[in-house]
Amino acid sequence: MVGEQRVDSIHYSLLTIRLKWIMDTFGIGLSIVLVSVGALGYYAFVFLPAQFHRWRCQSLRAFAKAIELRTQGRYGDTDLLVRLALTVSARLGIEGEERKRLELAAYLRDIGMVAIPYALLNKPTPLSPMEQLTLARHVEIGAAIVEQIPGLSAVAPLVRLHHVEYAVQPDAPLSAHLLAALSDLMEIAHHAGYGAALSALQTGAGTRYHPQVVQAIEAALQAHPLENWAPLRRSAALWVGLVLYPLKDLTRLLVELTRY
Amino acid sequence: MSSERRGQLRKRYRLWSGLLSAAALVILTVAGSPIQQSGHLLLLLGLGLVALLAELLLIRYPLWYGYTDRGIWMSVSTPIVTAVILLYGWQLGAWLDALVTFGAGLLTARLKQSRLRWVWLNTAQSVLCAAGAGAWHPIAGISPIESALASPLSAALILLSTLVMYSLINTFLVSITVALAEGVRLRWVLHESLLNLPRETLPTFPLSLLLMAMLHLYGFTGLLAVLAPYLALRQAFILYTRQHELYHQTVRSLGFLIQRAHPYTGGHLQRVAQWGRKVAERLGLPPERCELVYEAALLHDLGKTVLDERILNKPGRLTPREWEQVQRHPQLGAEILISVPFLNPIVPWIAYHHERPDGKGYPYGLQGDQIPLEARIIAVVDAFDAMIGGEAPSQQRQYRRALSIEDALKELRRGAGTQFDPTVVSVFEQVVQEWLPLSRTMRVARSE
Repeated sequence: MVGEQRVDSIHYSLLTIRLKWIMDTFGIGLSIVLVSVGALGYYAFVFLPAQFHRWRCQSLRAFAKAIELRTQGRYGDTDLLVRLALTVSARLGIEGEERKRLELAAYLRDIGMVAIPYALLNKPTPLSPMEQLTLARHVEIGAAIVEQIPGLSAVAPLVRLHHVEYAVQPDAPLSAHLLAALSDLMEIAHHAGYGAALSALQTGAGTRYHPQVVQAIEAALQAHPLENWAPLRRSAALWVGLVLYPLKDLTRLLVELTRY
Repeated sequence: MSSERRGQLRKRYRLWSGLLSAAALVILTVAGSPIQQSGHLLLLLGLGLVALLAELLLIRYPLWYGYTDRGIWMSVSTPIVTAVILLYGWQLGAWLDALVTFGAGLLTARLKQSRLRWVWLNTAQSVLCAAGAGAWHPIAGISPIESALASPLSAALILLSTLVMYSLINTFLVSITVALAEGVRLRWVLHESLLNLPRETLPTFPLSLLLMAMLHLYGFTGLLAVLAPYLALRQAFILYTRQHELYHQTVRSLGFLIQRAHPYTGGHLQRVAQWGRKVAERLGLPPERCELVYEAALLHDLGKTVLDERILNKPGRLTPREWEQVQRHPQLGAEILISVPFLNPIVPWIAYHHERPDGKGYPYGLQGDQIPLEARIIAVVDAFDAMIGGEAPSQQRQYRRALSIEDALKELRRGAGTQFDPTVVSVFEQVVQEWLPLSRTMRVARSE
C-alpha cells in the first residue's frame, strides 16, 4: 500500500514537472492547446476503448448470470473467476489484447450449457460416463454460439479450449490453460472448499494442468487468500470516470444534433 | 435505351469530360506561376499532406440508432481548401485541391473500384470548384478579401459564402457528369443532390472557420493542432457507434437465448415487441422510452432460460409444484438483467410483467399504480398474442384453444380493470384494429 502511494506521488510530481516544461517552452497559449489536445487524445484513444471493453464485459455478465442461475451456481462464481483470471494473467505475462480475450472468454466459457438438459445440469448424484460426455458437449456448443456473435469470433477458440488438458494439448495458448485450471478450481471449490480445490490443482499439475499456470495461481492465492478477497479498488478509475463523464454526453449531444 | 441514344450519350459524355479537363488544365497553368513567385511551394506540400490524411480518414456519423451502415460521410479536405483559398488566394487553393483529390483518388482507387479516368475527372471538377469559389468575390466586386478578413464577422460570412459557392459548383458539375454517365435526367439528379446540399455543407462550416483562424494565427502548426482533436473526435464517434452496435447485439443475442429455452413461434417475440412499442407511442411516452419498451418486450421471458425445459414444454396442465417454478421467471429475468448496467431501466418492467391491477398477479402481488406502466403494456400485449395462439402452437392444441382476434379482444375488454390496465387495453385495441387488415392480407398471401 505504502509503496503504491509513493509511486503515485512520484508520478504526479513528474506530471507537474512536465507541465511546467511545456509551459516554459511553448508559452501559455500554445501549451493550453497542446495539453488539451493531449487530454482529448487520451480520452479518445485510451479512456474510451477501455470503457468500451468494460461495457462489453458488463453485457456478457448477463449471459454468465443466466448460466449461473440455470446451474444453481455449481460451476462457480463468474465474477470471482474473472478477477482471479486477471490477477493470475498478470503473473503469467498475458497482456494487451490476449488479456482482454481471456476476460471475455471467462464470462462466456459456459454459454454452451443453455443447450444441455436442465435435469443433467442439476443432477444431485454423480454423472454416468455417458452423461459426462453429453455435458462435455457444452464446450463445442459454446464455441459455436460465440462464433456467431459478430465481434466476438476471436474469443471462440478460447471457449473451445476452456477444458483443455495439458497432457493432450500442451501447445494450446497459455490463457486457455489458465481458463481450464480456474474453471476446475471454481467447480471443485464449490463442492469441497478452496483447500481441496487447490490441492487438486497441485496433484494435476503437469498432467491435467499446465505446471506454470498452477504455480502462478498458487502464488496469487498466497499473496491474496481467496477467503478474504476484498472488492476491487476502483476509486481512481471511478474519479477519472466521474470527471470525464460529461464529455461522453457532449459526444452524444453532437451526434444527436447532427442526426437531424 | 436504343443503341443510337447510347452512342449519342457517350459522345456527349466524352465532350463534357474533355471540356472539364481542358478548363482544369488552363486554370492550373494560370494559377501555377503566382505560387512559384510567392514561394508557397513548401506550404502547398505540407498542406497537401495534411489534407490528404484528413481526406483518407473520413468521418462517418450514425444517423439512426441501430442502422450504422447508413450515414453521411463528411470529408475534411473541403474545409481546409476553403480556408486556404481565403488566406492565400484561389491559385494555391486550386492546386491544393487538385493534389489532394488526385492523391486520395489514386490511393483509394482499389478500395472504391474506380478507374483512373474517374479519378482525373474528379480532380478536374475540384479544380473548377476551388477556382470558382475563390474567383467569385473579386468577380462579383464584393469588398477585397484582405479588408474583409480584418473583422471576424465578415470573415465568417465570406467563408460561408465561399463554402456554399464551392458546394454549389461541385453539385452542378457532379450532377451533369452523373446524368451523362448513367443516362438519367439531369433534373432528377440535381433535385436529389440539392436536397442533400445543406446537410452536407453546413456541418463543415465551424470546422472550416476554426481551421482558418488557426492557419491565420499559428500557420502550419495551427493546422496540426486542429487535426489532432479532429482525429480524437472521429475516434469518439466510431466508438460511440460501436457502443450502439454492442447494445443491439446484446439484446438480440439474449433474444436468441430465450428462443432456445422456449420454442416460441418465430414471430411471437417480434410481434409482442412491435405492438408494445406502438402502444407506448400512443400513450405518449418519449421515443427513447418506446425503444426500451420494445427491447423489454423482446426480453420479457428471459427468466425462462433458467427454468427446466421439461416444465416449459409440458403439454398438459402443470402441477402446483411446477407452477411455482414457472412463477419465478419474472424475478429470474430481472436477476439476469441487473448485472448489465445499460439495461437497468427495463429490469422492473420485466420483474412485474405478470402483475395484475387487482393484485392477484405473481410473483409480488402489486396493485394498480404500483405496477409500472411499461410492465402493464407488456402484460396486455403478451396475453393477447398468447390468446390468439401466437406463443407456442404445440401448447394451444393440448389444453387451450386459440381464440379468434375478435374473441381475444373481447377477453381483454372483460379483463380490463381486473387483469389488465383499462387505458392500455383501449389503446391496444386501436393498434390491433390497424394491424388487422395487414395481417389478413399476410395470411391470404401465405395460404396462396
